[in-house]
Amino acid sequence: MITTEVTVDELAALMKKAAGITVDPKELAQSLDAPFGTLGLDSLALLGIVGELENRYSRPLPPDAERCKTPREFLDLVNDTLKAGA
Amino acid sequence: MSTQRPRRAVVTGIGVIAPNGLRADAYWKSVREGLGVLDRITREGCEHLPLRVAGEVRAFDAADLIEERFLVQTDRFSHFAMAATVLALDDAGLGAVDPEEAYDIGVVTAAGSGGGEFGQRELQKLWGQGSRFVGPYQSIAWFYAASTGQISIRGGFKGPCGVVASDEAGGLDAIAHAARGVRRGTAAMVVGAAEAPLAPYSMVCQLAYPELSTVEDPDRAYRPFTKGACGFVPAEGGAMLVVEDERRARDRGAAVRAVVAGHAATFTGASQWERSREGLAHAIRGALAEADCAPEEIDVVFADALGVPAADRAEALAIADALGAHGTRVPVTAPKTGIGRAYCGAPLLDTAAAVLAMEHGQIPPTPNVFDICHDLDVVTSNARPAELRTALILSRGLMGSNAALVVRRGGDLAR
Repeated sequence: MITTEVTVDELAALMKKAAGITVDPKELAQSLDAPFGTLGLDSLALLGIVGELENRYSRPLPPDAERCKTPREFLDLVNDTLKAGA
Repeated sequence: MSTQRPRRAVVTGIGVIAPNGLRADAYWKSVREGLGVLDRITREGCEHLPLRVAGEVRAFDAADLIEERFLVQTDRFSHFAMAATVLALDDAGLGAVDPEEAYDIGVVTAAGSGGGEFGQRELQKLWGQGSRFVGPYQSIAWFYAASTGQISIRGGFKGPCGVVASDEAGGLDAIAHAARGVRRGTAAMVVGAAEAPLAPYSMVCQLAYPELSTVEDPDRAYRPFTKGACGFVPAEGGAMLVVEDERRARDRGAAVRAVVAGHAATFTGASQWERSREGLAHAIRGALAEADCAPEEIDVVFADALGVPAADRAEALAIADALGAHGTRVPVTAPKTGIGRAYCGAPLLDTAAAVLAMEHGQIPPTPNVFDICHDLDVVTSNARPAELRTALILSRGLMGSNAALVVRRGGDLAR
């Protein structure tokens, strides 16, 4: 079975693609508990990332996924959901 | 000196994104020279459409002035407006907003069609791939209000904000709205309009306009006030202004470029060009009255110049109706024949040109227009030197709005 997990690198790439925010993955890894707002990412941008992931993995994420406040909270939610459905 | 003098709204900054120049100085140079830049439309996906000639903004890279995170969530029309805003604020000497002042600065834009290119892209995803592939920014990017919102968010302007959706003439209505905001107590307003109508969906919408010129020769496609008048040519781009309380501008040492002196607007119905005579004349009289300006004080008229014979006739008669004998003597110009009509952006570009013309003492010519067939003194071929204290700017929309704006030269103000 293939384990699916969204990495910090992938989140950084999605932030660039969906929200136009350039962030160094290494720096993002160091600041996983910083609020998305400080990275310039608003809830609409996070909603776009949620949509990308839902299309990529062909499965829905929890309805409040875009309300996550930090990268760590978001990655945990996403990866728990993907694992649960694997 | 009385301290009870009403607040005056003055122009302190001009930002232009136009087919003939990016920045106000480049725009003025082209306008003064009468440079015509109408050309074949080259934007992607438009080549096969029966509208061939327009004024395209080329060599524009929004990323030079605007952060990528604002660009991905907005349409080209907002890119123009945000870039023009940066230029206008820079011109006005207003940098980053002091948080203490955030509520003293507002934003108002006019929009004729919103973000058609962005909307088309997302709608194609909707019908091509499904609703899950439509990005969330579709919810904001294609609305008329998008530019006002993004300018406000990006600049941190928390004062009165608004959007005027009243057809092409709404560009002048927006300036009036901003001036009223300043007179009522707001320190400064960022105001203007920019449009991006040269994208496939937007162009198909325009094809239904009977006033649209589909002539393929750029030099002959848009020739108002002549026997060759065959409709108008669209353009993209526009201008943003900083309109500010005169006292505040003087206190901070900013140059007072012009005074927004008077405005009025009327409505006479879609494509009712004969009736626009009465509506436009009424708007002119209203603008003069608000400006406390006699017809003879008008030194130059920036005409709407639609290029449809009945509309041109109506405008010439409206000028005569409202200005009397002065109407046949006052110099009339329409620099937009060199760049096309950028819908709501057009009267903003004309207002920018009027302020620059007053500053330079030159009336710019009307490109591609020579053989005038109306009783108007249209400035053709070359710029005409003139002492300009007061300018009248006219605008009409295809859906029936008419507006007039009177601006006075800034340097003439008593301190």
